[in-house]
Amino acid sequence: MELAIDVEGLIKSFGQARALDGLDLSVRAGEVHGFLGPNGAGKSTTIRTLLGLLRANGGRATLLGGDPWKDATELHKRLAYVPGDVNLWPGLTGGEVIDLLGRLRGGLDRARRAELLERFELDPRKKAKSYSKGNRQKVALVAAFASDAELLILDEPTSGLDPLMEAVFQQCVTEEKERGRTVLLSSHILSEVEALCDRVTIIRRGRTVESGPLTRLRGLARSQVTAELASPPDGLARMPDLHGVRVEGNRIAFEVDRTRLDAALAELIRVGVRDLTCTPPSLEDLFLRHYESEKAER
Amino acid sequence: MNGTWTLTKLALSRERFIVPLWLLLLIALAAGQVKRYATGIGDIAAFAREMAANQALTAFAGEIPSATLAGMAVWKNADAIYTILGLIMILTVVRHSRSEEESGRAELVSAGVVGRLAPLTAALAVTCGSAVLAGLITAAAMAATGADAAGSLAFGAAITAVGLVFAGMGAVAAQLTQTARTAIGVAAGGLGLSYVLRFVADGSGIGALKWFSPQGWSHLARPYGDNNVAVLLLSLAFTAAALALAYRLRARRDLGHGLIPERPGPAGSQRLRSPLALAWRLQKGLLGGWIAGYAIAGLVLGALATSIEEVARQGAAVEEFFRRYTASPEAGMTDAYLWLIVLSLGYVSALYPLLALLRLRNEEISGRAELLLSTPVSRVRWVAGHLLFALAGSALILTAAGLTMGVVAGAPGKVLAGALVQVPATWVLAGVGILAFGLLPRAAAAISWAAFLFVNLFGEVLGPILGIDYWIAKYAVPYPNLPMVISGEPFTVTAILIMTGIAAVLTAAGLVAVRRRALT
Repeated sequence: MELAIDVEGLIKSFGQARALDGLDLSVRAGEVHGFLGPNGAGKSTTIRTLLGLLRANGGRATLLGGDPWKDATELHKRLAYVPGDVNLWPGLTGGEVIDLLGRLRGGLDRARRAELLERFELDPRKKAKSYSKGNRQKVALVAAFASDAELLILDEPTSGLDPLMEAVFQQCVTEEKERGRTVLLSSHILSEVEALCDRVTIIRRGRTVESGPLTRLRGLARSQVTAELASPPDGLARMPDLHGVRVEGNRIAFEVDRTRLDAALAELIRVGVRDLTCTPPSLEDLFLRHYESEKAER
Repeated sequence: MNGTWTLTKLALSRERFIVPLWLLLLIALAAGQVKRYATGIGDIAAFAREMAANQALTAFAGEIPSATLAGMAVWKNADAIYTILGLIMILTVVRHSRSEEESGRAELVSAGVVGRLAPLTAALAVTCGSAVLAGLITAAAMAATGADAAGSLAFGAAITAVGLVFAGMGAVAAQLTQTARTAIGVAAGGLGLSYVLRFVADGSGIGALKWFSPQGWSHLARPYGDNNVAVLLLSLAFTAAALALAYRLRARRDLGHGLIPERPGPAGSQRLRSPLALAWRLQKGLLGGWIAGYAIAGLVLGALATSIEEVARQGAAVEEFFRRYTASPEAGMTDAYLWLIVLSLGYVSALYPLLALLRLRNEEISGRAELLLSTPVSRVRWVAGHLLFALAGSALILTAAGLTMGVVAGAPGKVLAGALVQVPATWVLAGVGILAFGLLPRAAAAISWAAFLFVNLFGEVLGPILGIDYWIAKYAVPYPNLPMVISGEPFTVTAILIMTGIAAVLTAAGLVAVRRRALT
């Protein structure tokens, strides 16, 4: 499988502080890849290194088959970037910025530009200084989606968008994927990542802690089980594989690793099951587990 | 008006370093000048007669209020004090009103228990308060030199009055426009107009014009002369009217908006196709302003050239002063004056490329450079766009001044050549600016300003005035090494080539550094 982004053991320090500490990231061509991590984990630093704005201190990074630092200008012909904090030239209108970025990237699709402006409900005649944060993001998004770049690098692109615009954004990403483009999506909005991404990389303090298809990562987290039993579940609470057990009369709720689900259910059936719900782990559970282990380490 | 006191304290703490700094500058200009004249000039009455006969100097400094030591010090520097203070007042009041709104900080503040008019009131309290303080401290400093108390108080009152007027003007401008930059532009335009009216009034002898200029009112108070402080009632009346207008405008408009509404712009652009085109959009305002300013300065200063021969004949001191700017004894006083002026314009022009190049740093800090450089634009191409304006723009502004000044003074070819000779020296400063941006981006602004101040303080125009030895200048800064092509020195290419070479090396080193460093 061809890799659009291939990063191995990336290291980047700012003075004493180590922002990236052996980070791995591989994004396959044609996939939408979720890039997750708490604030300050190094997501933006990774992206800025991939764009050749920062120079790594160690490790290896390949972007579209080239060196992000040395071949920056050549590689940028094939990608479009939406920064997390979009700042535009105050005296230029949104339309002018879209055209400027489009032209610099080698032209943009006029019809698609008009269509995107309509879908994102963006007035291109307003000066950039009077745009809200969401509208500035829309400007950068329209410019990126209307270009014919093969790789889109989006750094928390929807943090300023309302739910309606978030839906438009998700549609656009889905369309980009259908057109065969690769998307690296750094995000905090887990429902967005769950809806859009094929594979996910979770980083923490400059290191990759999880990486793989969403379905496999879900397997790493615990399922949430609630059951109504025939009699009080006395013995269950002491089972070693169950976490966060709450008992209330005949009802019991607990979390269990997917691999131990069999044993837990067998025990429930032994007592006698009247009602049962089993919720698969969400990305949020997975995410929170890493966040909490980070807090515990501090 | 809820919250005014809290906001005033906040503004005061933000001003705690800036205000003392410029108060010291005003004291140095006022009381410091008394000291310089006390040691440097023997017969003050004769000096006053000599100066009073000089129409050009009268235009620059105004009429002499009294032929005393303190009176001459006021004559020498009062106009500069009034104008500098006016500018400081405009910047201060806009910094605490419109800039706050533009940044969105005012929105945060206004959501608290804060009256709608409280932020403006706090801004004005601090600004007007510092104007009163400036008057009192200058008066005390003058009195401490032994000047008479009544005159010192009148001088202090004249300073406070002019400060209040421009605080008011700044407050009105801050209500009119949506951005702080435009507000400063509008108010500074008023300050400039007021300066020109006073200048023309004293230069042409049409004294009535002075009554239309706030700086003129403070001149009319004639400290140490007849101490006519009653005229300052005009300043107070103007201030009251301006403040009333500012409050009325503020009460009627929405937060963050100006009275002059934003017009919708074009929905797209065919012309913005390169980093150079973008640089043009970002640089044209600054460049246009400098060209206009230099063309006007050329007109005004060129017009004075015709009366210089007469001036120089009136005293040995003046003639000796001008002699410094000649290379041969045959050179006339007019030529010396013209060279002095193009040289001064050269020194000041050093600021233009530095400001133009600092826009690059601004682009970098704001994150706009990141967006631009994520497209197939190389660092060098990005920087080169702005560099072109810094370099070609320096030549353009000096050409503008050279042309207008040459035509008015009746020697277009010679003056233009003199102005163009300055260009390579200014390019050296551009080289310093780009090297700072490449090597030490975080300190680029500080280095640029320091370089400008250094060149001007050691230079042969400001240097001698500040008491720095004339001969040091030649080794420290580029301008004194230029051939004095207007005042008797033949054109030689050596200095020009060396300076262009230095500028080229600095620029190349700067570009290499920009390519190698990370974006911060």
